[in-house]
Amino acid sequence: MTIYSLYIFDRHCECVYYQDWHRTRPVRPSAVANFKPGVHRLPLAPTSGTDASANVRESIFSNRTSTHSGDVPDNRVGANGPSVMNGLGPRTGAGGTAQNRGLPFDEEAKLVYGVVLSMKNMVKKLSGRDELFTSYRTPAYKLHLFETPTSYRFVLLSDPSADSLRFVLRQLYTGPFVDYVVRNPVVQMDSRTEGVDNDQFRAAIDRHIRGLSMFGT
Amino acid sequence: MTIHAVWVINKAGGLVFSRSYSDTLPALPLNTILILAGTLHGVHAITSRLTPGAGSGGMEAFEAEGWGGRVFLTSTGTKFVVLHSIPHTGLEELLKRIYEIYADAVMKNPFHTAEMPINSSLFESRLQGLIAGVNT
Repeated sequence: MTIYSLYIFDRHCECVYYQDWHRTRPVRPSAVANFKPGVHRLPLAPTSGTDASANVRESIFSNRTSTHSGDVPDNRVGANGPSVMNGLGPRTGAGGTAQNRGLPFDEEAKLVYGVVLSMKNMVKKLSGRDELFTSYRTPAYKLHLFETPTSYRFVLLSDPSADSLRFVLRQLYTGPFVDYVVRNPVVQMDSRTEGVDNDQFRAAIDRHIRGLSMFGT
Repeated sequence: MTIHAVWVINKAGGLVFSRSYSDTLPALPLNTILILAGTLHGVHAITSRLTPGAGSGGMEAFEAEGWGGRVFLTSTGTKFVVLHSIPHTGLEELLKRIYEIYADAVMKNPFHTAEMPINSSLFESRLQGLIAGVNT
């Protein structure tokens, strides 16, 4: 039982805070051009301006690990040679390393927000009411969503076997967030250029999450 | 325990079958369900990329307030989706049974074109029988 990471998004769809705990596949720092201060404490990406590969933004489609295409026995192998993806086998070339590196932070945050937004819309359409999407689960993790009336969205990734952790997100909102962000005159809320990170807030969240009974080692 | 609806999504993300089995969720036009099935297909691919640690695989289940959905991905890429009330038990077996019926009534039908919408009264009646046994 573990907690993987916490994201906070504001009403402009921007990630304003990020913290992680037990990620075995760490997020990569975002490219310098996309760096936004006050969100996370990840080290900066190496500034290799001459390195062309640093400017190539990796897309989620560049490494086809999507589940459906991977599992299909591909009958084009004969025509195109072994470079055609054959699913679960080891990947060759650059794709193999990208798999372990994870995504750059800014891309990952956008994907998380996109998934949350899509699922929210889907649930809303299906139920015909303004119903709240609360969580989803994959074999590897579970995502919990808590939304405040001011459209701050708290997203927590945890172990897939966890029960609903929305109460934790609510506690983080009414506790550390109100104390150290809303009541902090130095934090610029609602700014599109800066996050809400500060030492007290980060320490309080860390204490809270580590105090949970389901926070593993 | 109620099954609200069953969808079958082909490997390209197209909806090939959808049927509603309860009145809890409002009836939607087919076009809307088609869009939602496509959305689910995309979200499923993205969720597998967001994996923070060991393991892999896309979305298996999602929850809203009072109802949820369960996704079963077959090894050929077809997705079976059931929308159900919460709490609900035995969904995994139910999805396997639906897959079995699909294999028997659809895949063994020589007049069925793969990846195309399912127009099989046998599939529908057997599915109806299965769901009627679950819905109480």
